[in-house]
Amino acid sequence: MSKKLNFESVNCDDVLPEVKQHISQDVIWKHAVASLDYNPVHVDPEWCKTAQVFGLPVPVMHGNQTMSLMVKVVTNWAYPVGGRLKGMEIKLIKPVPVDSTCTYGAVVTEKHPIGKGENFVVLDLWAVNQDGEKVAIGTAEVTLP
Amino acid sequence: MGYLEEVAKYQKTEKQKSFSADFLEGQQIEDYEFWDEIEIGKETVVPFKFEVKAEDMMAYAEGVPDDNPVFYDEEYARKCGYDGLVAHPLFISQVLFFLLQKGHGSWIRTPGARNPGQIFEWHDPIRVGDIITLKTQGYDKWIKRGKYYLRYLSELYDQYGKLKVRGYVTLILPKSKVDVLRLFKGERALEA
Repeated sequence: MSKKLNFESVNCDDVLPEVKQHISQDVIWKHAVASLDYNPVHVDPEWCKTAQVFGLPVPVMHGNQTMSLMVKVVTNWAYPVGGRLKGMEIKLIKPVPVDSTCTYGAVVTEKHPIGKGENFVVLDLWAVNQDGEKVAIGTAEVTLP
Repeated sequence: MGYLEEVAKYQKTEKQKSFSADFLEGQQIEDYEFWDEIEIGKETVVPFKFEVKAEDMMAYAEGVPDDNPVFYDEEYARKCGYDGLVAHPLFISQVLFFLLQKGHGSWIRTPGARNPGQIFEWHDPIRVGDIITLKTQGYDKWIKRGKYYLRYLSELYDQYGKLKVRGYVTLILPKSKVDVLRLFKGERALEA
C-alpha cells in the first residue's frame, strides 16, 4: 500500500501485510518474562515431559503471545498513522508447541463511518502454523484517522 | 541449566526482578482459588496497584517480539499522532499477572491452565505514570467436552477512576485442588 493509510483510503477486502515468527523456547521464555506469566506449561520443559497438559510432552507458547502477534499485524499497519485497537475477540484453536513457525494475517471486512475520531474498521485475524493449520482466529475493531 | 536460570537472563525491569517466576513454589497452592470453589457474581477490587513505567511498556513489546517504534520512541509516537509512548495492547497481560500474584483471581496462575481465547475492549490508552487498579467479577463458569471453563469480567482503571480496559478473561482450569496438586507434582494432566 503506497497511499497514505486513513479511514477513507481503506477498502473492505484489503489484506494486511503478514507477520511470521519462529517460536523457539527462547522466544517463549522472553514472553514469559515480559508478561510475568511463568506457567510451567510454557516455561518448564522438564515438567511438560510428564504433565502433558495438551497431550504434548513439550512446552507450548502462551495464548496471549499468539494474540500479541496477531495484534502485531494490526499495529504494524495502523499505529504509524495514529490508529488504535479498540476491541478484539480471539479464539485459540490449537496449541502451538515449541519450535513451530507461525504466520499471522488479517483482512478488512467492515467499515464503520461513525464520525471523525470514531471511524473504525473491522478485521478478520488468523494465525496458521507451518503445516497451514489454523491455530487461532478472531476479529478486531480498529479506529483510523 | 533450569528454566529459572534461563528466564533470569531476560529479567531487566524492577517488576520483572521482584516477581517470583516459580509458579510451582509449594506455598502458592494455599493462595490459589480453584474452579469448583469460585463464586460467580462475586466482585472484588484487587488490593494491589500497578504503577506504569516506560520500562514496563517497552519490556512487553520486546517480549512479543514487536519492534514497532511507537512502543519505544516517545518522539516518534508523538509524530504518529499519539500523546506519548504507546503501550502494546496486550501489555495488559503483564498488568494482570502482576496484580493477581496471590489471593482473589490468582486462578490465572494455575499450573495446567489453558487459554481458549480472550475478549478485550480498550477504552482509554494506558500511559506512563498511570497507576492501574483492577476490579474483577466472576462472570460465568461452564463445562464443555469434559473441560472446566471460567470467565471473569476484569476491568482496569487509572488513578482517576477512568476505565482503561475491559476484558472477559477466560481459562480452562483443573477442576479442583486435588487436580492442581497432581500438576504441582508434575503428574500427567487428567485431560489432554
